[in-house]
Amino acid sequence: MSAVRTAEGLQLRERTSARVSPSRVLDALALGSWTAVFWFLLITDRTSLYLSTRTAWVVPTGAILLTVGLVGRLLSLRSIDPKPITARSAVGIGLIVVPVIIVLALPPASLGSYAASRRSTFSSGGVVASAGDIASGDLSLLDVAGGQRSGEGFAALVDRAGERVDFTGIVTKDPGAPADEFVLTRFLISCCVADALSVNVRVVGAPPGRFKADQWVRVSGRFYPLGRDVIVDSTEIVAVERPKRPYLSP
Amino acid sequence: MQAPATEVRLESGYRYAGYMMLALVAFGAALYVFDPANVAGVQNFFLVFGSLLIEAIPFILLGALVSAAIEVFVPVTVFEKLALLPKPLQLPAAGLAGAAFPVCECGSVPVARRLIVKGLVPSAAVTFMLAAPVLNPIVIASTAVAYRGREVFWPMVLGRVGLGFLVAVAVGYVISDESKEQLLKKRTGRAKNLDHDHEPARTHAAPASPGRLLSGARFREFFGHLSNDFVFMGRFLVIGAMVAAALQTFVPQSIIGGVAETPVISILAMMGLAFLLSLCSESDAFVAASFVQFGVGGQLAFLVFGPMVDTKLGILYGATFRQGFFRTVVVVVTACTLVGCLWLEVLFG
Repeated sequence: MSAVRTAEGLQLRERTSARVSPSRVLDALALGSWTAVFWFLLITDRTSLYLSTRTAWVVPTGAILLTVGLVGRLLSLRSIDPKPITARSAVGIGLIVVPVIIVLALPPASLGSYAASRRSTFSSGGVVASAGDIASGDLSLLDVAGGQRSGEGFAALVDRAGERVDFTGIVTKDPGAPADEFVLTRFLISCCVADALSVNVRVVGAPPGRFKADQWVRVSGRFYPLGRDVIVDSTEIVAVERPKRPYLSP
Repeated sequence: MQAPATEVRLESGYRYAGYMMLALVAFGAALYVFDPANVAGVQNFFLVFGSLLIEAIPFILLGALVSAAIEVFVPVTVFEKLALLPKPLQLPAAGLAGAAFPVCECGSVPVARRLIVKGLVPSAAVTFMLAAPVLNPIVIASTAVAYRGREVFWPMVLGRVGLGFLVAVAVGYVISDESKEQLLKKRTGRAKNLDHDHEPARTHAAPASPGRLLSGARFREFFGHLSNDFVFMGRFLVIGAMVAAALQTFVPQSIIGGVAETPVISILAMMGLAFLLSLCSESDAFVAASFVQFGVGGQLAFLVFGPMVDTKLGILYGATFRQGFFRTVVVVVTACTLVGCLWLEVLFG
């Protein structure tokens, strides 16, 4: 028997004595469950419920990377020295799989009025729309946010007082407000939901009691910056479906 | 053939897996019965928690992938060339070497140990160990993604790189008088990571042999490192994301705002949080960026301090270096990060 054949023979013997390692099966479970989440987000088009448009690319990237990792792990499940599953490793893998169950089980949802009461507004955030952006084009909630962020931006907003606007957002109830008023809120995320900042305008002239908190509405009317607040004197308010992209991106 | 004792050990492990699966099924059933959409706070918590993980998991995996590739395919002699430089240049060069080798903080500790054993000046190896998790390209990319579109984009990205480099070099200077024998702890079996299930031919610290670079065994080893790193870092990320989501959802804004608006306290609080959360540097920027109430100083402190000092690193440092090393690192990193972040707060806050 030649030396080369001996080396091959050794490798063959290693392969035949190898067996599936339980701890590797558990690793594959962790990788596989997250792979499922990323493909689920892609197939169901739910990325926009979690990420900004500018970071949405991480989902297909993650799906591919995780699939590669999973396939590699599945192909290397066998070991000549298989390791048992310990209580610690089982808990660790369970911890990694818990969020998978949450994401898969959670019905399609976006941040609502609960978050609006607890998140920072633009005035304390760090994203701006320039005064030049605010001064031209259709007014958007991003422009409102920019105006609330800087004195220069607010001056640009004041210059456009009385113009017609169409804003879409969720209804947020302010306990002390008159019955025909509510706050229209939209969240802006620059990366993911965790960094959401709220943009708020006060809507007046709403039909009392018609719209509930967290309901998505489109408000048409004329807007007036007053103090640091922006007020929309509504001419029409209609209930709408949650937009495909519920969050604004800078 | 496996020894009977090994057979029993392997079989008994399946019991833990069974309990874990049962717990997961119970959790899923509870979610189904008590629809989280009915409780606004819980739904908010799940959305923030899920979004942090969805954003960060690909970066964890990317980091694990590159780290595994370096571990398996790059011979350790590449790092050893640092030892050929004149001594005064070794610390800055070691710090900058971190930019070229995307090793996360867990991976950098065994690499540093091996470099010291191989004859690199210990302080240079420590500088590399601390700088690599902050300066490496994946970390810079994830920080840029997390802060893209913010007016603090450049202060955060450049501040993290610059301050991280300076802090790592500062720690290197502080321990520059220590020899290999003074710095390293004698290796014991316990010091090795027992959770890792590699091919037995090599461990983390073993060099990549030049031959058989593309062999099947090498690829099995590569995927072994990849999945081990993913699982090891993933659990810390999940805990970190859970804490961050809970803080944002359930802690009143008045409390967080009060801490965030007090300059020195806000920076120390974020350092403390980074220590407790023990996030991987490849994903921590997403968590830091979610603390919008905190200024540039607080968020930067989180990003510079965390990759150098946290609970899991405390365990790794304790297993690798002499008693007191961790204390030295904590003191120097805290002082330098605090001063640096206060300056940045003055300039950009």
